[in-house]
Amino acid sequence: MTNARILVVDDEPQIRRVMRTTLVARGYVVSDARSGEDALEKLREERFDLVLLDMNMPGIGGLETCRIIRSQSDIPIVILSIRNAEKDKIEALDAGADDYVTKPFSMPELLARIRAALRRAPLASPGAPEVLDLGRTVINFAARRVTVDGTEVRLTPKEFDLLRYLASNPEVAIPHAKLLQAVWGPDYGEEVEYLRVFINQLRKKIEPEPSRPQHLLTEPWVGYRFHLPGKD
Amino acid sequence: MTKALLARVFKSLRLLGALGLVGGITFLYFRVVSVNHVTVALTFLLAVLVVATRWGLLEALAASVAGMLCFNYFFLPPIGTLTIADPQNWAALFAFVVTALIASELSASAQKQAFESTRRQRELERLYTLSRNLLLLDSRGPLAQQIANQVAQVFELPGVAFFDRLSDRIHRAGPHDIPVEDSKLRDAALQGTVFHDAAARTTVMPINLGGPPIGSLGIQGTSISEAALQSIASLTAITLERAHVQDVATRAEAARQSEELKSTLLDALAHEFKTPLTPIKAAVTSMLSDGCSSPTHQELLHIVNEETDRLNTMLTEAIQMSRIEAGQVQLHRSPRSLSSLVRAQLERLAESLEGRKVAVEVPEDLPRVNVDPEFIGIVIWQLLNNAVRYTPPGSPLALCARTEGSEVVVSLADHGAGISEPEQQQIFEKFYRGKAHRDRIPGTGVGLTIAQEIVRAHHGRIWVESQPGKGAKFSFSVPCAPRESSA
Repeated sequence: MTNARILVVDDEPQIRRVMRTTLVARGYVVSDARSGEDALEKLREERFDLVLLDMNMPGIGGLETCRIIRSQSDIPIVILSIRNAEKDKIEALDAGADDYVTKPFSMPELLARIRAALRRAPLASPGAPEVLDLGRTVINFAARRVTVDGTEVRLTPKEFDLLRYLASNPEVAIPHAKLLQAVWGPDYGEEVEYLRVFINQLRKKIEPEPSRPQHLLTEPWVGYRFHLPGKD
Repeated sequence: MTKALLARVFKSLRLLGALGLVGGITFLYFRVVSVNHVTVALTFLLAVLVVATRWGLLEALAASVAGMLCFNYFFLPPIGTLTIADPQNWAALFAFVVTALIASELSASAQKQAFESTRRQRELERLYTLSRNLLLLDSRGPLAQQIANQVAQVFELPGVAFFDRLSDRIHRAGPHDIPVEDSKLRDAALQGTVFHDAAARTTVMPINLGGPPIGSLGIQGTSISEAALQSIASLTAITLERAHVQDVATRAEAARQSEELKSTLLDALAHEFKTPLTPIKAAVTSMLSDGCSSPTHQELLHIVNEETDRLNTMLTEAIQMSRIEAGQVQLHRSPRSLSSLVRAQLERLAESLEGRKVAVEVPEDLPRVNVDPEFIGIVIWQLLNNAVRYTPPGSPLALCARTEGSEVVVSLADHGAGISEPEQQQIFEKFYRGKAHRDRIPGTGVGLTIAQEIVRAHHGRIWVESQPGKGAKFSFSVPCAPRESSA
């Protein structure tokens, strides 16, 4: 997907410079912001397809910026951070990020992550139902919409793709690596913590009782399984 | 000396007074009023009683003898002689002497008791003052010296010496220098024995609170009772102990803060250095992936890229070491599959492995390990990275895992030059670098130390088996996860 519009948010001018040069050379349209506040303003004014967000910035900081963006939009967010502890990754994913890249990164790796974040899983595979009615929760695959008790819930693209992949393969225990590769892309497979965070967020959004999930079930040590009611 | 002289003068005066009293009674009854000799005897008895109770035994005895002589000479027939015609005179003398003895004894003991109780009261008051003053000591100043000063001041002692065992210093106080050698104070504290020196009127006693003595106290002057001395020792011990506990707590806090500061600084510094590395790495990898430059430029770009990675690894190690040193390693343990941990690290190192064959032998049914994946990942990475760097390019590596009791042992065997017996321990020490490589292969010498600290934090072990020329086998153990838990 070329011509995608990317917003680079980093307080370091040299990083903004190198990102702009490289991304523009790859055909992306690049804009940059030097702070979280600046980024939020740019996002209000223009439409972007992806945000590259530095975690450690003065002002409101990357994490809070991520939360605010996510509360207003489902735009893919890739976090860039010097910290590489699992705790930091989970914090970022919890705040609504789609991916987390540790600085310093190699450009081909970042480009792959950007492509993965921009990538939408192809629309409903032939033969799959367009609408899945789970009782209180209704998933409309064609319109990328989910309603719970008639109210629409907003899912990020990655959340939706994950839900769709699981729901398209009901009653099958899908291993972590397979899920990651299906939803994020072929370069993924070890980021089990991504699944933990995303499944938790999905449960909060679509399960009537998130602490006692009925559809999104954990398969211990293997992966996850989507359960259809009425098939017991 | 003047005090003793004064006492002697008083004593003589009192003797004269006793004799004068007897003389006065004699004069009164012989010259002024005429009464019968029973009344005279009773008056003499009264006088002896008064002298005995007021002044003491010697004066009373003098009055008794003088009274008996006067009674005999002036009042008993034959008057004017010292002859005792009647045995009742002997009875009178006996009565005087016995009265003198009993009364003076009674009075002396009463006086002694009164004196004793006054002294005890005074001592108690002083102990109370001392305890209050010790509580209010200025904790910023030298405490031991203040304690010595207080003891000397409150008990008005001519000399006090105080030995604080912890600082191994002796503090002296009081108007006079107490004649006690330093060695005696030290002995008292070390052996826990009490020394009395009657001639110099000094006492040296150990001070302790149940445990071994924490110092000793030397006191000059005999006016303090044994019980009070014990109380002073206890009060001193409590004060000192309290101060030591506070001191230890303060120092521990200061050390913790300094460690924290050091680690925060190192952490911040390493992060600061990583910031400029990020655009360098991004730029160079971008140029490399374009692939449009000449082979020479490609080679030079590769060098920049590799050195950027090296700098990054060094900074990462510095951050890890600073955290481990500051005791900040907080493990977030959960049951993990070892094979996926190994796979992740092999992927990370794929580039530097340069197609080297790594035989991974992790049994399917290997139990999960209860570890922090991030930190155990570092350990696996360190071992693999060391093997890659210190063994000939292309030589095979073998990584295997097996269960041993409630632990899983992971081993990495290489076909390198091996490690000599003495170096097998040293390589785990901080900054130690193998003799054969230290000049040829760059490194910081903290990699294995970090791995060791991480494994230890997991209650595991890390070791190496090697024979020079036959390669080395590095192993570490980590605990298995409890069976019932799930991911």
